Amino acid sequence: MSLIRALSKDLEARSDDSLRALFAARPDLISPAAPDFAALAARASARVSVQRALERLNKPEMQVLEALHLCTNPDTGHGISAPGLKKAIAGATLTALEGILHRLEALALIHRCEPPPGTQPAGSRHRFYLPVGTLKDVVGIYPAGLGRSYTELVRLQPAFAQRVVQLVAELRRSGAGVPEAATPMEAALALQRWTSAPKDLDGILAGAPERTRALLDRFGSWAMGAVPQAQRMASISNEGPDVGPVDWLLARGLLVPLDASHVELPHSVGLALRGGMIVDHFTVEAPLPELGLTSALLRRNAALGAIAEALRILGELLAAVREQPLATLRTGGVGVRELKRLADRLRLETREAGLFLEIAALAGLLRLDVDSSTWIQPPGLEWLALPRQEQWLWVVNAWLASERAPSLVGQAVSTSAGHQGRPNSAGTSINALSGEAQRPDAPLIRRRVLEILQELTEEASAPDGRAPVLDARSVLERAEWSQPRMARRFSSLVPGILREAELLGLIGSGALTQLGAAIAAEEPDHALDILGEHLPAAVNHILLQADLTAVAPGYLAPGLGERLTLLADAEGQGPATIYRFSEASVRRALDAGQDAAAILQFLREHSATEVPQPLEYLVRDTASRHGRLRVASSASFIQSDDEAAISELLQETGAASLGLVRIAPTVLTSAASPRETARVLRELGLSPTVQEPEPAVVRYKRTAAATGSARPVYSAPRSAPAQDDVEAQLAVLRHRPGGAAETSGEAAAQLGLEALQRAIRLKQAVTMNVVDGDGNSNSETVVPVSVSGGRVRVFDPARDTERVLSIHRIVDVEPAAGQTARPASKGAE
Amino acid sequence: MNDGPLIVQSDKTILLEVDHELATEARHAIAAFAELERAPEHVHSYRLTPLGLWNARAAGLDAEKVLDTLLRYSRFPVPHSLLLDVEETMSRYGRLRLEKDPQHGLVMRTDDYPVLEEVIRAKKIAPLLGPRIDGETVVVHSSQRGQLKQLLLKLGWPADDRAGYVDGTPHLISLIEEGWHLRPYQKLATENFWSGGSGVVVLPCGAGKTIVGAAAMATGCTTTLILVTNTVAARQWKDELLRRTSLTEDEIGEYSGSVKEVRPVTIATYQVLTTRRGGIYPHLELVDGHDWGLIIYDEVHLLPAPIFRMTADLQARRRLGLTATLVREDGREGEVFSLIGPKRYDAPWKDIEAQGYIAPADCVEVRVDLPRDERVAYAMAEDADKYRLCSTSETKTALVEQLVAAHAGEQLLVIGQYIDQLDEIGQRLDAPVIKGETSVRMRQKLFDAFRTGEINTLVVSKVANFSIDLPEASVAIQVSGSFGSRQEEAQRLGRLLRPKKDGRAARFYALVARDTLDQDFAAKRQRFLAEQGYAYRIMDAKDVGAAG
Repeated sequence: MSLIRALSKDLEARSDDSLRALFAARPDLISPAAPDFAALAARASARVSVQRALERLNKPEMQVLEALHLCTNPDTGHGISAPGLKKAIAGATLTALEGILHRLEALALIHRCEPPPGTQPAGSRHRFYLPVGTLKDVVGIYPAGLGRSYTELVRLQPAFAQRVVQLVAELRRSGAGVPEAATPMEAALALQRWTSAPKDLDGILAGAPERTRALLDRFGSWAMGAVPQAQRMASISNEGPDVGPVDWLLARGLLVPLDASHVELPHSVGLALRGGMIVDHFTVEAPLPELGLTSALLRRNAALGAIAEALRILGELLAAVREQPLATLRTGGVGVRELKRLADRLRLETREAGLFLEIAALAGLLRLDVDSSTWIQPPGLEWLALPRQEQWLWVVNAWLASERAPSLVGQAVSTSAGHQGRPNSAGTSINALSGEAQRPDAPLIRRRVLEILQELTEEASAPDGRAPVLDARSVLERAEWSQPRMARRFSSLVPGILREAELLGLIGSGALTQLGAAIAAEEPDHALDILGEHLPAAVNHILLQADLTAVAPGYLAPGLGERLTLLADAEGQGPATIYRFSEASVRRALDAGQDAAAILQFLREHSATEVPQPLEYLVRDTASRHGRLRVASSASFIQSDDEAAISELLQETGAASLGLVRIAPTVLTSAASPRETARVLRELGLSPTVQEPEPAVVRYKRTAAATGSARPVYSAPRSAPAQDDVEAQLAVLRHRPGGAAETSGEAAAQLGLEALQRAIRLKQAVTMNVVDGDGNSNSETVVPVSVSGGRVRVFDPARDTERVLSIHRIVDVEPAAGQTARPASKGAE
Repeated sequence: MNDGPLIVQSDKTILLEVDHELATEARHAIAAFAELERAPEHVHSYRLTPLGLWNARAAGLDAEKVLDTLLRYSRFPVPHSLLLDVEETMSRYGRLRLEKDPQHGLVMRTDDYPVLEEVIRAKKIAPLLGPRIDGETVVVHSSQRGQLKQLLLKLGWPADDRAGYVDGTPHLISLIEEGWHLRPYQKLATENFWSGGSGVVVLPCGAGKTIVGAAAMATGCTTTLILVTNTVAARQWKDELLRRTSLTEDEIGEYSGSVKEVRPVTIATYQVLTTRRGGIYPHLELVDGHDWGLIIYDEVHLLPAPIFRMTADLQARRRLGLTATLVREDGREGEVFSLIGPKRYDAPWKDIEAQGYIAPADCVEVRVDLPRDERVAYAMAEDADKYRLCSTSETKTALVEQLVAAHAGEQLLVIGQYIDQLDEIGQRLDAPVIKGETSVRMRQKLFDAFRTGEINTLVVSKVANFSIDLPEASVAIQVSGSFGSRQEEAQRLGRLLRPKKDGRAARFYALVARDTLDQDFAAKRQRFLAEQGYAYRIMDAKDVGAAG
């Protein structure tokens, strides 16, 4: 019976709870809903689905599955039981193996089969299993890191096939106990027999040059390795006394050259090196790395410090962008020069500035203005008016959900990305806000990293409140254990994610903080409470000093900070800001329309101390020489007879980007062009009339303003499907009359593919109905050779030629009646 | 977070809010490892530097204590990267130790094998080292002790020098405390220095650094070489030693341009030691040809480069550096650290002020308007002449007369840069002028007359007032500023204007021509004065009469 049909029957026999568990673990099976069990079984056997399922397996599960794959043969129906596997996996207990086998079965990756004929009754008490048919394709050519057998290598490596007979002959001459061989296939079998017993191999290696063992150990977890000049002529007959380990191994066929620079350790040699075990290290428990500990005080200090700093920098960044929007490159993204300008303005390193710029953009605090191709702050940004803890949560939510990887900015464009994009971009670095920093799987990996951080923190926390310091290495190590097939995708993003988490206070002093734990547990309200309690309140006073500085002893209330920035130049970096007054800075304030009295009044109001005499002198002295006539440029003006409306507009944060200045009770000037001014006013829900080309004036009437919130809402990427979908799927499957009797088109395609693949493996002929270009159906008997990319290559024995057919033209496939196996000599070609 | 007086910035400055109730406590705690950078009236700023942190390590403070102090007194969360940096930096000091080995002589030892490996591979260091004894020890050529320490500091692995000192020729010196007493901080500074071996004592101007030097000599009872900036300072050291110690006139020698005496205690000027003839320093023999047990460097922050080179060869002798500030305008703080030694004592200036030993001066900048013709002349002048033109304005001379009249009866100094201007002022005020060409004898005579009150007003040029101690002066008027170091200026100011017996604040006037280069220079000076904590005001010339 076909494996898919068998699986379909098996699934149908399962309880609802067992199916629910399956859907939860493999959500792609029911998305979209499967019409029947046959379709479900077909999907579960499809290569992509199996691949996804493997990505969720942890290391011991993967090891058992790979061992099972190596010990069974789906074509002959030869399965294996837990005791059988125990012999192939060092250190495994029967209970552990049975548990894992049970899980793999629940995941529909393996299924039960008949015990092989002649099994002892004692053996038949245990269940026998076979893997799902497509596992072979998904698991790769080196399952469990073991190489291919000598016979397979002879079949696939013509150079080795040519040499192997002579190699065996030389071995025999040198006195090795290798059976005689006349053909490559015989030679391969001879080598296999020679090397397969661990004790024999020890004997062989006893005569090896030193460092040979060390070299072989490097092939311990992966059968292929790089070696310079792998195809060199190494032969026992002209071996000197100082032969190197690589030559020695190549000469004896213990390493097989694949191409000019790679060699493979054949299956039997690898297995013997592992003492005959497929898996030589097996533990069910996740390894717990040795981690340093850090105190709660340090963690909180670091987190709060980072958050206050991040929010301050984001605020300054927005101010800088309001002042001057960020220009983009023609190829997209913000160029290095522009970024440098921003970094100087923020007194940061370019790299850090890029990181914050990315974070601001992914949080929607910046928007790409399509008309001007610049990044601007969206008018009426709600974020600016929020309490600081909510500003933080906004950014964190946006970061969790974002498909961008901010830390990639400034790193070199990887060669593969350069290859896909512009061919000449190799050697350049990734620009901020450019497409190269896009990583669609970032939310998923972020989620997973948080989970791992949480796991490790729970496992390694000390009773006195100290928490483990988690670096990228320990996170990757755990990721490698819990999802070995995903590890490679993790490795490039994890260091950046940890760095960003640190900026956002989720990690402090290297450990998961209280805030980070709350976010990982998806309790944002709890995080808000913690932060609201500990974040220092904004100060609204400054300290003025005779050296013409003002010190803001903490985070300044936003309005105050902005006015001070106009009056004086900010210095330094940290929770407090030092503002330095100079003639130039005071003149700048005067230029902006303030006068000495107003400046001094402002300073007196907000200073906790008296205004020092030198500062007062500076302001008065500069003002007394500052021009009395005021000339200003404005791109447009807004006039309305409604004075109240004008006042209101002036207060509107949404209109801040226009740089409105009231020059008379009924007139405002705007720094933006009439068109831009009108656009912003319209966005605010007003309806101005524009008078152009004559005086650039915008008249407007009040109408109700409608504003929508841009606040990001984060929901963690779900690994499990929604409850409703699962129930709906169950209802569909259970209430379909006929069940597996009718085969849906979806299942049929998969069944056809399975039949083809089976025929390829067994080199059997099949009869298939193929639709030609005119829509006529023909029945043909052919021997399929390979399937890939929606095409099948077949050998047509009737015409003695090979052809390529599109799979979608094949209506059905059946084993040819009374067919015979294709001659083996053909297969070796 | 707690409500502490400190704000720790991520740019490695620490702000201290002076009016906070815990400010004094916090200042004491951080003074050990942070350098005071600016001390205006409300918020002082300190800086964390590697040298400062290593100084703290040398004084026995560990990173944990520093972090604890920062976290305890900080109002806001402390940037985590800064904490890591402090820890990392402090852990570098003392990984390498210079020790005396009974068998091999001077050796460099470490407990951290890779550090030694890194260091001995450095190109410049290899020639200074002898054979390797074992994994952790290597022989050092004893003549290269100073140079090695200098290079190690540059590599960022400052060595802990425990190799000890030679005793020098014994010579009995004792303090004679008649009518005065060693102040508590002077005593502490001396003790800290002596137990530390070599190093620098930082005391504000006027806090009695000379006495710390004398106390150190009395502790050591050994022959001593004192290096000072100039001859006048040498005479003052001599007077002070005669007054405070058992030393007699015969035991103290002066080694300067005019006199070359070598006695158990010898005072030499930097200038004479660094005089070069035909490519060699003929007077260097003074330093290494005698068995000095103690070498005192006055005004370490002014130490010229050749003296550093010479000091590198003197590492076996005890060295005491005296200064008001470790900040050097030429950035050679590292050489002070490695060659003379780490900071052994630093008295917070505010404390000493609070104890009544020194007082800040009241500084007033008076802005004068140039008359029309002078403004035209200034506008049309070559760049090179502009500064002279504006700073020697006639209006200033008139203003000086006005100010002198306002302060009649007080001891008053007029300081200036340009001799013509000073001569004219001298004539108008009928006061003696001391300038470069005035002989040392004449200077001494005039200064003495000023001290005793015979003369009320003295006009001095910049060249002549170097290192003079005139505690009686209560008013100083600077008519033309210098381009020179701001540091020097503030020091001079502190020296000139000591607290008066009647508790009156001393006053310092700076006359500045408005809208000229003079004003730009003044602005820089002002900023520095304000940062040093001197209160200052700005006035218009027309208001001077009113303010009196």
